[in-house]
Amino acid sequence: MPEILRLDIRGQICPSCLLLTLKALNEHANRLRADTLEVVVITDDRQATATIPETSAKMGYRAEVDRLDAAYRIRIRIHA
Amino acid sequence: MEPAYAVIVPGSLACGLIAGWVMHRSDFCVTASFRDFFLFRDGFLLRMLALLGVASIVLFETGRGLDILHPDPFPLLGPPALTSLLGGVLFGVGMVLAGGCVVGSLYKMGTGSGLGLVALIGMIVGSSLYAFMHGPWRELAAATRMHPEAITLAQALDLPPPVLSLPLAALGGLLLYRWARAGQMRRPGHAAGHLEPWRAALILAGVGFASWLLVGMPLGITTSYAKLGAITQSWIWPEYIAQSPFYATSSLDYTPPIGGGQLRGGPGPALDAIAAIQYPLILGIVLGAFLSAHRLGEFHLRLRVPPRQLVSALLGGVLLGLAARMVPGCNIWHLWGGLPILALQSLLFLAGLLPGAWLGSRILVRHVIR
Repeated sequence: MPEILRLDIRGQICPSCLLLTLKALNEHANRLRADTLEVVVITDDRQATATIPETSAKMGYRAEVDRLDAAYRIRIRIHA
Repeated sequence: MEPAYAVIVPGSLACGLIAGWVMHRSDFCVTASFRDFFLFRDGFLLRMLALLGVASIVLFETGRGLDILHPDPFPLLGPPALTSLLGGVLFGVGMVLAGGCVVGSLYKMGTGSGLGLVALIGMIVGSSLYAFMHGPWRELAAATRMHPEAITLAQALDLPPPVLSLPLAALGGLLLYRWARAGQMRRPGHAAGHLEPWRAALILAGVGFASWLLVGMPLGITTSYAKLGAITQSWIWPEYIAQSPFYATSSLDYTPPIGGGQLRGGPGPALDAIAAIQYPLILGIVLGAFLSAHRLGEFHLRLRVPPRQLVSALLGGVLLGLAARMVPGCNIWHLWGGLPILALQSLLFLAGLLPGAWLGSRILVRHVIR
């Protein structure tokens, strides 16, 4: 199982949600590509649930979104 | 009370409720349309804005053809001046820094966003600050006026409005068709109760049409921010508010389409026609977004925000409030209402908004988001 990097950005709105996620993806690109890391974003910004998966997909990652109480959890890993 | 208010107050409230609900469900954000294009080269929301614009042209021209939209052009629009362009630049910077425009911040506040509330406070402060520069700014507007009396491009060129609007709508329709064929008009949404943004664009165009039909003008709210500032200040220094030339102006003077009478209103603290039109609209947007978020179990107060973003929201809000009076009018008023009828002020506002949003995006990534 890959290690998990948790990014709790509840309260923030776009574009900071997308920019902070991009920063994490770029900083840890090697480990993500080796599938030794999964980035988990916790956000309550609805727009981020569309922009983060779309941008992740463009970068070659797979993003899964699910509800977490009043927020959303976006799990980002390399494509299997 | 004027009989027209029996239509205007519930009509504006209904428009606000629908707009607030729809914008929350679809995450429809005008600020993001421009900002994401400049930051990420993501034109998705800009295409949604184009759809709203084309749909509004079609609806407005149909309404004009059926002679059911009055007054035409709607009130509060003035002849073009360079001040609308300058105000547009400042507005663009402000909306990006605030994290939402005058309506976006309202609906986000309705879902519990602390940033939305801070931006709203900033807007009220900014609108109040404008009072100090009203005289010189009005003189600058008069000195830089580009046409003595034309409100729309059709009037300036002495042409019937459809001669310009319909080819523009056809061109826009062609572009939208090509984008749709290329799959660029849809984006997967993962949030609960998600409403596809293209559906939201059509509904919001319908809301703007309904507002012109019932109230006599499309959606606009920013004069009320000056009004709320005036009310607050009148508790502290009533003499200043009573003597200020800005708060004595009566920017609205029109005959509403239903109920008749002559309605007047301005930025002063009185409960006038501006209050009757815009207060219910503001209340409706906040309430519509709140009801939508509450129904999804997503309403909660979100106050834990990095200080830099709070300061940015406040300063952005101040710029927004100030710029909205300098233009005069906000992005919703001009992009959803004025641009579809090719109002000259709205065209100048857009010309200023684009570089302003670009500049705001640069400031945001360099100094705010860390």
